[in-house]
Amino acid sequence: MKFTYNWLKDFVDVKLSPQALAERLTMTGLEVTSLDEREGDFIFEIEITSNRPDWLSVVGIAREVAAITGKKLKAPHLRSKGTGKLRRQLPFSIKIEDKKDCPLYTAKIMHGVKVGPSPDWLKKRLELIGCRSINNIVDITNYILFTYGEPLHAFDLDKMASQSGIIVRRAQKAEEIVAIDGEKRILDEDILVIACASDSSIGRPVAIAGVMGGKDTEVTEGTVNILLEAAVFNQVVIRKARQKLALQTDSSYRFERGLDSETAVSASWKAVDLIQDLAGGNLALSKEYGLMKAKGKVINLDLELTNDILGVEIPAFRVKQILESLDFKVKAGGKNRLVVAVPSHRQDSGLPEDLIEEISRVFGFENIPMSLPLVLPRPTIRSARDLVSIIKHTLAALGLNEVITYSLVDKGLLEAFHIDAQTSAPEIQNPLSIEQEVLRPLLAPSLARCLAHNLNQRQESVDIFEVANTFNNSPSGLKQELCLAIALCGTKRLLLESGVIDDKSGFLHLKGVMEALFERLAIGEYDFAFEDNSSIIGISVAGEKIGMMFSPEKSSLEKIDIKNKDVFIAELSLDALLAKMGPARKFIPLPKYPAITRDSSFILKEDILVQELINVAIEKGQPFLKHASVTDYYKGKQIPEGYRGLTISCVYRSDSRTLTEEEVAPVHSQICAALSEQFGAKLRQG
Amino acid sequence: MDISLIQAQVESEIQNLNSLEALEALRVKYLGRKGLVTELTGKIATLPQGERAGFGQQVNALKSKVLSLLEEKRPTLGGQSSKAQIRPCDIGMPGIAHELGHLHILTQVTEEICAIFNRMGFSVVEGPEVETEFNNFTGLNIPLDHPSRDAFDTFYLKSPLDKLGAGKSKEKLLLRSHTSPVQIRVMSSRKPPFAVVVPGRVYRPDAVDASHSFMFNQIEGFMVDKGIRFSDLKGVLEEFAKAVFGNDIKMRFRPHFFPFTEPSAEVDISCIICAGHRSQGDQQKRCSVCGGKGWLEILGSGMIHPNVFKNVGIDPKKYTGFAFGMGVERIAMLKYGINDIRLFFENDLRFLKQF
Repeated sequence: MKFTYNWLKDFVDVKLSPQALAERLTMTGLEVTSLDEREGDFIFEIEITSNRPDWLSVVGIAREVAAITGKKLKAPHLRSKGTGKLRRQLPFSIKIEDKKDCPLYTAKIMHGVKVGPSPDWLKKRLELIGCRSINNIVDITNYILFTYGEPLHAFDLDKMASQSGIIVRRAQKAEEIVAIDGEKRILDEDILVIACASDSSIGRPVAIAGVMGGKDTEVTEGTVNILLEAAVFNQVVIRKARQKLALQTDSSYRFERGLDSETAVSASWKAVDLIQDLAGGNLALSKEYGLMKAKGKVINLDLELTNDILGVEIPAFRVKQILESLDFKVKAGGKNRLVVAVPSHRQDSGLPEDLIEEISRVFGFENIPMSLPLVLPRPTIRSARDLVSIIKHTLAALGLNEVITYSLVDKGLLEAFHIDAQTSAPEIQNPLSIEQEVLRPLLAPSLARCLAHNLNQRQESVDIFEVANTFNNSPSGLKQELCLAIALCGTKRLLLESGVIDDKSGFLHLKGVMEALFERLAIGEYDFAFEDNSSIIGISVAGEKIGMMFSPEKSSLEKIDIKNKDVFIAELSLDALLAKMGPARKFIPLPKYPAITRDSSFILKEDILVQELINVAIEKGQPFLKHASVTDYYKGKQIPEGYRGLTISCVYRSDSRTLTEEEVAPVHSQICAALSEQFGAKLRQG
Repeated sequence: MDISLIQAQVESEIQNLNSLEALEALRVKYLGRKGLVTELTGKIATLPQGERAGFGQQVNALKSKVLSLLEEKRPTLGGQSSKAQIRPCDIGMPGIAHELGHLHILTQVTEEICAIFNRMGFSVVEGPEVETEFNNFTGLNIPLDHPSRDAFDTFYLKSPLDKLGAGKSKEKLLLRSHTSPVQIRVMSSRKPPFAVVVPGRVYRPDAVDASHSFMFNQIEGFMVDKGIRFSDLKGVLEEFAKAVFGNDIKMRFRPHFFPFTEPSAEVDISCIICAGHRSQGDQQKRCSVCGGKGWLEILGSGMIHPNVFKNVGIDPKKYTGFAFGMGVERIAMLKYGINDIRLFFENDLRFLKQF
């Protein structure tokens, strides 16, 4: 909403400078978003909140300025009867199909107006606020719109098919109108129109009600007789029409927010006055149909409640003063109570809280003290969120960087990773672009794309993770699941004291990260295993599959511009993981007796799996073997093709005494023998 | 032997030295394992309690003196200063890498903000990102056909049932356009009092540019009890703003309109760059962060609207409460001087690793 300083001064004596006024308005809830000096005037632009249609006018703002500066509005009541004398009443019918669509329609016919350019003062006012001057009649309707907030429309009466009546009705399906902007609009039953018709016919639309007039009844230079419309249309109807037609105008903007009958009636008389002043002509008809006055609302205000909600004592006289300055009528209503009558232009007010807002606004938020509430401590149990926080911090400590990627993706991305976007991914009805087609059922593709971006920036090594919700269409409805995805790619160059090592990311890095995470979360019972006939590794916790590790195919990666790089991704359901969280850790007493460690190196066929060796060692090593693990592995010169060298470290210990070499040696030999027998493991010397 | 005597002896002996070997022999003679000074050190423990401290100090002084004499002499004999020898490494070399990862800056800011409210007694609650029209709009006193809804452009989901030509009766699902639906969820499932903060992702179909994103993060907070006042809202938010932006900032509460609160306020802090000092003058000299206004809007807030209470079955005559909401990206951008919202979602490691 724009207005100028001088325009405002027509209605209230402002002593404040434009800058000081802007500051006061902002602090009263009329946020001044710009203030510019031009041609000896100041142009204010204000962001008007949607609850205050009454502020969409210079008079509305003047009323506010009067209230906050303790002045009187110069034209407090708009009930001008007009100076136009009605010589004879023409026969004219106003037919309203549904009163709910149009609670009030007023028509004025003026004969013999002289259409021409507007006087300079009017042109300047409109042009300063960015409204193009057309001719005196159109300019007057606009001037009244901006001054009083009531949209008016002037038709050229002689261009109307019938001069003896109008009908306010819903458009027919596929009915057409060429609007003043020259565009042809196709209408339907959701759109309200003004049609000219005197008889029982439905007539032809001459205006899209509350939105825009028609081109063929527009007021132009040759116009002599006009029909002036001031009406109140249903907010929702106008809103739907402008949404359907994608046509927002100064009129639709105001009707959508709600207008009152009193303003419509008086603004229409003001327009007649001004037309007679600037364009001459005689008033030939004045007719209204509908509710001339809204039902007066009354609110009972409890002053104690007011002070309790605000946290400050505002004296009763001050409350009364503030409300009266805003045109509310205030009467005492018993101890600490006021009975407040709401003026017609304040349709937004109906609850005591609405008044409390007005009181606090004008009283000044800055005059309300600060206090701290008493918060009852609410012991909360450790929530999923706390565990997610531990997970994130652990992964960051392990050297991974957290990313946040969009939950919405294009179907193409999912398809590149062979994910069935058609059925599994919930689809967005109104995406703005292809990147917002679906909600992602998996995080992995987004992470891969994130790798691609960083590889493009010449990063040698990218290790990232994300914790976010995924979305899936399931037979029972849409399923939201909290997931963790980790993606590793590239080679890290580690500069050690012994020299440089190039450490290329692989599945074992991913496994190492997962293991550290499980250790941090005190999850002991987990397993990684290749799925049947698949290169996907399942991750399970306590026997239940919660996720997977995989390396996307080259063809998938090429589609997102990753070339000649291997990518390793783990994705798991945190909802499932957190459900598997065991009880808190228990202390295990430290061993009382020392352990004996025996390392043995074997040469084995490559296809023999480490887990199988360890299982045999554990079985054969009872009761002293506490732990067996691979501590070294190698391939190279001394190892024949198709074989690998593995060092298995066995830790022996008793809980009741110190073991001797003599006790351990036969057990260890037994393990070595079993490995040799079952797997053909050849013990290496040295 | 007398301590001063030993010192004099060292001084004279070192004068007459002319080889590094002789210097080493002298070091062994006095400081070696069985050297004279070492012997004196061993004596300390045998002395009566009262004499130990004084004697100990003298021995230490002697030891330092001998060490410094040796140091002075060594270069004159062509030897290397022992400083080089006692350095175990070149500390200018890069540290053996323990590369630290980074939490996303939005996670860090979210955690910081939640922690501030946690310390004030608020608990953290989360809610789903796919919501109903009731929770996102109607329950929050935003009628479906009212202009107040225009501030919340919303992504709707195609119902999978639509494809089958069924499911008309089901309520439409949408991506929440703010975190406020969690107010409805908490308030309709728990009894007051409560003080809650809600972090989470929200979605609005906005064209992406330097200051708009179709996905962003919000933190919502609300508190409901008997006797909660607007002044409490002011107090709590001041604690918050000072904790995030420092004690020197000024704050102001501006009346505003939100359908779910009344009275409603937008909260500004004094510009953290120019503190309002570069608000005057021509366009060029104006502060680029606050645009010369001197104030930065950081959040929206207000007293929970009685209609919202009615919608969730809380008696507005008995209970009052406040609510507030802020954009995490906005707070992070202001706090760290980040000038483009797209950086948060591009996830360039050079960006992520700065925080």
